[in-house]
Amino acid sequence: MQDFETLLEGSAKAHGHMCAGQVVGVRMAMLGCELIGLDEPSSMPQIKKIVVYIEIDRCAADAIAYVTGAKLGRRSLKFVDNGIMAATFVNLENDKAVRIVSTEESRDLAAQYAPDIPDKRQQQLEAYKRMPDDVLFRVQKVKVDVPVHDMPGPSRFKTRCERCGQVVRDKKEVLQGGKVLCKPCAYGAYFRTVGSERSKEVADHVQPEQL
Amino acid sequence: MCNPSNYDKLDDRLSKIPVELAVGTRLAHDITEIRPGEFKGPSFRRGHKVEQQDLCHLMRLGKRHLYVLDLKADQVHEDDAVAELAAALAGPGVTYGSQPREGKLQLTAAYSGLLKVSTEALVDFNLIPDVMCASLHDNVPVNQGQVLAGTRAIPLIIDRGILDQAVALALKRAPIFSVKTYCRLRARLIITGNEVYEGLIEDRFEKIVRQKLEALGVSLEETVILPDDRQLIADHARRFLAAGTDIMITTGGMSVDPDDVTRLGIRQAGVETLYYGAAALPGAMAMLAYKGNIPIIGIPACGLFHQTTVFDLLLPRLLAGENPDNRDLARLAVGGLCLDCDVCRYPACSFGKAS
Repeated sequence: MQDFETLLEGSAKAHGHMCAGQVVGVRMAMLGCELIGLDEPSSMPQIKKIVVYIEIDRCAADAIAYVTGAKLGRRSLKFVDNGIMAATFVNLENDKAVRIVSTEESRDLAAQYAPDIPDKRQQQLEAYKRMPDDVLFRVQKVKVDVPVHDMPGPSRFKTRCERCGQVVRDKKEVLQGGKVLCKPCAYGAYFRTVGSERSKEVADHVQPEQL
Repeated sequence: MCNPSNYDKLDDRLSKIPVELAVGTRLAHDITEIRPGEFKGPSFRRGHKVEQQDLCHLMRLGKRHLYVLDLKADQVHEDDAVAELAAALAGPGVTYGSQPREGKLQLTAAYSGLLKVSTEALVDFNLIPDVMCASLHDNVPVNQGQVLAGTRAIPLIIDRGILDQAVALALKRAPIFSVKTYCRLRARLIITGNEVYEGLIEDRFEKIVRQKLEALGVSLEETVILPDDRQLIADHARRFLAAGTDIMITTGGMSVDPDDVTRLGIRQAGVETLYYGAAALPGAMAMLAYKGNIPIIGIPACGLFHQTTVFDLLLPRLLAGENPDNRDLARLAVGGLCLDCDVCRYPACSFGKAS
């Protein structure tokens, strides 16, 4: 694995700017990989061994993805919408997994670790570089049973929604009232169609009909 | 690394080799270790290359010989076989682990809901030699990620023909396991009883019902406390039924006193079907009615005293969109007797596990 400064520079470039989130994300990912026994997670053969669950969609998430090489499209990156600055690193080969949470205390301790820097933003960024791991993070040894439908690799499961006909992959369908449905049909969609494109199927997504 | 002359052929599929001569060979199967009260699981995984330092550990586990595999084209290793079995058994809402452990795979719930088991098909599956699958009961509520069943090929090596037979049966009778998502998510509650209505005693039903609903992800939208008045009960039931209700619950007024008129009020509200009485204790005086596709379940007063009643047996099924009928209420009979334990462990007990 490259050194911290090189990874941080690359991560900031990929993300679009340098920020405290990049520091936290790069350090969290480096620590996570070390603890699960992967030193080159973004290259073969280790790229096939890592799965990362990220619990926040903020700056640090991009840094974690950059360092680990985990990608949504490879199914090695899982987004769990918890709003918690945390990520879990899983080694599929040996079942080792750690969940690392960025501590709230570290935010309050920034001034203590970088008193020489007056600018608050810069101070936080620099302090996160200087803090020891056990101040910046809380590490939990965990067990993650990645179910077969969430594993990287070719799609093995495919079915069709009995209401709208949409093909649903990877066991993401639900059985509701005796029918196999896609999630928009079962639970409602995150979108509303407008204008002439509004179709019956999509209307059903917005207001799922009764059983 | 290993001299084939050390192998002692058992049959045409498996050879065994003395453990002290096994350095350099790869294990044919996971090796289980049991440390009572502490650990049970594979100490060595299939494919592990035996090293000198492993020998003591293996001998401590009682291993004097290890198997060396020599698979033919029509033979399948247990780990590969179980992946095929699990894929065929897991219907909608059911997934399974990606790594067989000790030849077994666990089927788990992809989301929370009601477990459905095609019990006859599962029995037929288990009649096929060399495969097995054991599961939780039909119609129990399960949480996302919960283990529902375990399956395995029984021998270390299974014939392709038998495996294909088992897979074909599971696919033909699919789904053997599925999980129905809860879809009746808006509940309304009518509490009846002159004593509660007049404030002589404080209602305790709302809290109980709310907790049981919320545990399954259902919101209690509205509660009304009414006297034992048939007309008032009917009027409010009609209002609730027209107010966007997926499931209605009534409490009290289910017994034999002249003031127990709840079910009469519900009937007056215009329900098409009404069953009174269920083969479960506690909960014999339960009511189950339907107005169109909206179920109305009546909990007798036992629901105040007993932690678990017929309400707990029927609620998950109703929330999952099922409409049990009088036969289903009768079918509760076997296992329908609550053991009334000091500490309730339901659903981890026999209550409601009808055969």
